[in-house]
Amino acid sequence: MDKPQLIEHLNASVNYTVYDTKWIPLSAKFVVLGSKANSQGVMDIYELNEGELVKVKTVEKKVAFKCGTFGASSLRNRHIAIGDFEGRLQVLDMERPELPVYNVKAHTGIINTIDAIGGNQVDCGAPEIVTGSRDGAVKVWDIRQGQSPVVDISPPPQMGDGINQKSARRDCWAVAFGNTFNSEERIVAAGYDNGDLKLFDLRSLSVRWEATMKNGICGLEFDRRDIPMNKLAVTTLEGGLLIYDMRYQHPTKGFSYVEERNAGRSVGTNGVISGPKATVWVARHLPQNRDIFLTGGGTGSIRLWQYEYPDKRVVEDADGEKTGVAGTLHMVSAATLSSQPVHCFDWHPDKLGLAVCGAFDQSVRVLITTKLNVL
Amino acid sequence: MEKRKTLLEKYNIPLSHLDFSYVKTCKNAREMEKIVQILRSGEEGNFPDLQRCSEEKLKELKPDSKLFRFEEPIQKSNILDKQELKPVLDWTHDIKSKDNALNELKNDMACLGLDVAPMRKPAKIDADMPSTKKQSKPKPPAPPMPPKTTEKRIRSTDYNKWDKYDPDEEILRMELSEERTKEQEELKNRHDPKPTPTSEEILKSEKEALYERLQQHLKKLSQVEKEQFAERHRLRGNEYFKSKEYESAIEEYNCAIIYDPENAARAYNNRALSHMKVKNYLAAISDCKACLEMEPENLKARLRLADASYAQGFRRESLHLYQRVLELQPDNAAALKALELLKKQLGELAPTHATRLMIEELKPDASDKPKEKPKEVTTPVAKTVPVAKPPPVKEYDLAELVKPNRVVKSKLVTAAESLGNKFKPPPASAPKKQTQPQALTGEASTLPAMLRMPQDNIKSSNKLLIQEI
Repeated sequence: MDKPQLIEHLNASVNYTVYDTKWIPLSAKFVVLGSKANSQGVMDIYELNEGELVKVKTVEKKVAFKCGTFGASSLRNRHIAIGDFEGRLQVLDMERPELPVYNVKAHTGIINTIDAIGGNQVDCGAPEIVTGSRDGAVKVWDIRQGQSPVVDISPPPQMGDGINQKSARRDCWAVAFGNTFNSEERIVAAGYDNGDLKLFDLRSLSVRWEATMKNGICGLEFDRRDIPMNKLAVTTLEGGLLIYDMRYQHPTKGFSYVEERNAGRSVGTNGVISGPKATVWVARHLPQNRDIFLTGGGTGSIRLWQYEYPDKRVVEDADGEKTGVAGTLHMVSAATLSSQPVHCFDWHPDKLGLAVCGAFDQSVRVLITTKLNVL
Repeated sequence: MEKRKTLLEKYNIPLSHLDFSYVKTCKNAREMEKIVQILRSGEEGNFPDLQRCSEEKLKELKPDSKLFRFEEPIQKSNILDKQELKPVLDWTHDIKSKDNALNELKNDMACLGLDVAPMRKPAKIDADMPSTKKQSKPKPPAPPMPPKTTEKRIRSTDYNKWDKYDPDEEILRMELSEERTKEQEELKNRHDPKPTPTSEEILKSEKEALYERLQQHLKKLSQVEKEQFAERHRLRGNEYFKSKEYESAIEEYNCAIIYDPENAARAYNNRALSHMKVKNYLAAISDCKACLEMEPENLKARLRLADASYAQGFRRESLHLYQRVLELQPDNAAALKALELLKKQLGELAPTHATRLMIEELKPDASDKPKEKPKEVTTPVAKTVPVAKPPPVKEYDLAELVKPNRVVKSKLVTAAESLGNKFKPPPASAPKKQTQPQALTGEASTLPAMLRMPQDNIKSSNKLLIQEI
């Protein structure tokens, strides 16, 4: 077999619901964030050790953890930024987790999603953390700023008696940083439960572009955060997977994309798709090759995809406007991991093919993907 | 209650199409997909042979059909043999030492904290603001001209001043002032964003400034971090290369080399290839040489060096370089092919190990030597003669000074003429090699396209090389 193969290297069962898994940069350790049955937050640190998983540390807090990231921390202080169920954002030092380095009540509702940038890159602007919450707001944080966000992207306050307020407010499910190729440019993409996708330009403080998907957006990721926007992966409920080519924006048509339906469902053993439509929970690009990414689906399957660029990435239409041309998606391989959705996944930034993922079956798995370098 | 439609009815395919003879002649991939789906569903009965036959046909018509996507339960790591798992285990050891090194560094954060970018000014974006307004971006007024320098231009005739003129210092000064203006602009842009002017020169000066900053940043980093950053840039360069953005790839490799010059062999090697893609062969040659200095046994670099030299027009040199490739790998297809081509172009050449007989001049009275083969006679002295094919000039008496160890047949003469009358086939001699590149560098740009590397050759060799980076 000369195509990549997904292999489960190690796994660990836990007694809590896993919400996020992240590798600690430049180490053999990863962090598991979750929620205990009594809705207490738990953070476990595991380490790979001679072919087995060793739990190095457990930290418990009062409120359940939802999501975390190392994106804003430098290699020297690998602090994790965590969003929890009550809307609190905290930055923890792994050595001394008792006292947060930074702690702020960021949102009124659960922080669904978090992304960060600027810790590792030179010349790419300030380290910032972006959070998206059930309260509908997207906020950008700089831990030097104190208790208020540096950029607050909220829907306008609603008028009226507030009866319909709850339903009118959108729920932000996904955020992602991108386009950070110098110290000024930066873009935040946000996906909402109603299928809205918005691109906020942090330099000009405006909405750069918006589009609406058929279903709620569960996952967003730029193929690279720190280059001029190249591609954006969008995953939705009911199995939608869209890859936008972000290089050229047409004044009216926006960005072009390639769409894959039913990407969350099991392919079945003989290629016949069966079962209900399933959410695509997450898309993660390989750190070593931006054109390969993996999606985790609602039926517990993961799929490895390769994006192929078209011969010409841009064409001029009749009005002389440049339009991007989307490429094609090619499924490299697929594997069933679990009976429950695979909702978090993280490639190791320094080791090709090594990844950790969490599923709702209360377990975390370390995966190895072979032969990724041949793609 | 209505009966559920079978796939056959749903797709509206006649039953008679589920037949070997129809499947074999079917040209419609879409229909074939439907037939395969019907057969796989088993609704019309189980026909393993027919199913196999139609799957084969579909593969022929549409090899990337979604019906060929298969999913399997995840394999455990015990299906990998020890050898495949070993890199991962080794890597864990390796990464742990790096991890520890980083932990030790944790305490001296202070110096690194200094060059973190300044904080953004708190702001708000209205999420419901329509984006359409933004389409017609108001063009900002032209960027302010860089402040006029007080120094006067030096007149071309003012030799005294030119003597004192130090270009390096001047360049440094220009860079500094550019950086300063850039910083000022940055400050302004924070409130009033303007697209920076994208003229080539400004881009270039920005790059210079970036490299400068990288250098400063570099001083504060530990070895682990340097390696890390360098590797990241190199990988990003590879990505740009794959998407055929060679200029950006070169940028990334530049950064990788700046960060970790000691272990930059791979970055040099990849940059060489990118330079070749943008037809900057001289840069490619120097990169290959830099790579070979670090890794003399690097096959790819040797081959690339030979290819680049060939493409640049250093054909005689590239011949030796290809032979050097064969020393490492005697059956290297790309090198063999290129050599064959070269030999055809250059005619028969003396073998590399052939030495040249030094002929002592005996007497000046040899001027009556026959001059029927003046073209083979090329000596360092001949360089002073402006014409490439020196006419039989009695007073120079070149034939006497050096004599080729082998008489080249007239075939070469015609070949040389057709290639361009400036090209001189110099005899393969060791001392001559030194002067050759300079002589040809000037000519290279004027050489006709025929002398460039033929496209098919580039393709065949590069295909291999691309896969390897």
